[in-house]
Amino acid sequence: MVTVGAVRTPGKRERTEKKEEDVPSAGGTIASSSDLKAGDRVVYPKQGVYRVTGLEQKDIAGQRLEFVKMTREEDGASVLVPLGKVATIGLRRVASADDIEGVFHYLGASYDDPELDWKVRHRDNVERLIAGGVLGVAEVVKGLHSLSRLRPLPAKERELYDSSRHLLVNEISVALGVPDVIAEDYIDYALMPPAGVKLPLKTPPTPVELKGPPWKRKKPVAADEEDDLGLAELGIDLGAIEGAAVGEAEESEEGEAEGEKASAEGADEGAEEAAVPPPRASPAKAPPVKAAPPARAAPPVKPAPPVKAVPVQKAVPTTRKAAPAAKKAAPPPRPTPPAKKAAPAAAKKAAPPARKAAPPAKKPAPKKAAPAKKPAKPAKGKKK
Amino acid sequence: MIRIVTLAPFDEGDINFLSKTLYRSFGIGTEHQGDRALPRKAELPDGRFDALKLLDDAPPVRAYSDDKVVYLTDVELANPKGPLGEPPAWGYALQGGERALVSTFRFKPRGVTEASIEIYRRRLARESIHFIGHLWDLHHCYDARCAMHPSWSPSLPDDPEFELDAFCRDKSERRIRLAKT
Repeated sequence: MVTVGAVRTPGKRERTEKKEEDVPSAGGTIASSSDLKAGDRVVYPKQGVYRVTGLEQKDIAGQRLEFVKMTREEDGASVLVPLGKVATIGLRRVASADDIEGVFHYLGASYDDPELDWKVRHRDNVERLIAGGVLGVAEVVKGLHSLSRLRPLPAKERELYDSSRHLLVNEISVALGVPDVIAEDYIDYALMPPAGVKLPLKTPPTPVELKGPPWKRKKPVAADEEDDLGLAELGIDLGAIEGAAVGEAEESEEGEAEGEKASAEGADEGAEEAAVPPPRASPAKAPPVKAAPPARAAPPVKPAPPVKAVPVQKAVPTTRKAAPAAKKAAPPPRPTPPAKKAAPAAAKKAAPPARKAAPPAKKPAPKKAAPAKKPAKPAKGKKK
Repeated sequence: MIRIVTLAPFDEGDINFLSKTLYRSFGIGTEHQGDRALPRKAELPDGRFDALKLLDDAPPVRAYSDDKVVYLTDVELANPKGPLGEPPAWGYALQGGERALVSTFRFKPRGVTEASIEIYRRRLARESIHFIGHLWDLHHCYDARCAMHPSWSPSLPDDPEFELDAFCRDKSERRIRLAKT
């Protein structure tokens, strides 16, 4: 059976080339077709060990193309790789005995906690199999093996574990010149040595650093962003504000509550609310919660119980009623991005005085209701 | 068809139990092909037997295409030394091939009690399934309850299960279905 490998439709070609550029290369990668000659043994990522049998020319769609012909040692399957594609498919030389020794030291070394996020794990594993060299394959095997000690692998990962183990066994058996079963015994001897056996381990080699996807690299950036809330632009110094840390903590709670609210209201509304809520909800929601305990603690004030009960219950519906109007009113000011960043800051600024004014319990309540209503009116006006 | 060949004297009851178990595990006929002489050429100076050489030199058995032959012996086997040492040899098989070798040397003594004999038989069945599994291209399995789990693994109990797990069973069944005969 002859399979034409790495021949893709034009649309797909761009994507694969881009992918190949993104992934770093392991040692022994074949950079051009001139590095190959008949009889060479190469590893085709995710396929196995191939032997180059020579060059072949073929007429395809009216074009005369030149291919490198390779045969898989395991089952004799043939693959034709266009000369221009050799550099991009990640072909590499079979690992040397030294590399293989490093692999065993890596397999025998203790392992960090396995990646528990299946999406990250899957993406990493695929990248490692393509671009990580023999150590990348070993990483996949070891990672999934250690994960399997925590819980059984899902079907897809079980298959990936089996196929990556198969690739590793193949390459080790070719590199060391031992049968597959013995190569697999070596692997498992390193992975799970018999009781009482201490392996003579050395420092394992460092695996190829994979360039993570952008969303994966967000984490450190997010930490910086936390500091840059645009407060400097507004001339606010957080350190100078009393109980800034407390305020932040409370705000995060509010944020969570908002998140829940947003999810309850619907997915399409959620996007709008994510931008709008901080200025709206913080004055409406936070004060009633804070105002409640002092009102309870002050029984001599007669109107306190009804005032406490009424505004709390009413405040929620009013804000909810006001919300759609505010949403519709929101779009005009929204285009200015600083408004979003300023929102939490404004909320922070507004919150502490409200809390400090909370003990009287009567006065802050109408004040808090006011800002919720105020935006509603202009909104109606604008609507008309 | 799975053909069992004994290179040492084995109890008939043990062989019958093994035949039934192999039939149940792989769904293909199993029979005892008889006794053969142990090839002494494979013996190493330290008294152990080179597993690879022993299987190479094992007396041939009349078999059809896709038949699997399992040689049973009681001598100590030796594997070639690897980068981290020599893994203990419980047997040997040609991955995706036709011949496998199982040694009972590392088993617990068969004993004379019903319980010990039962444990011995179960272990013999497990190791045979393991090495025949390699003949069906199966790799080692991380599940200690699967027969494809490495025989020396510390997580393996004293009396391990002698069946394949779902993944290995499916894979072996696929291979068996693809067999020519």
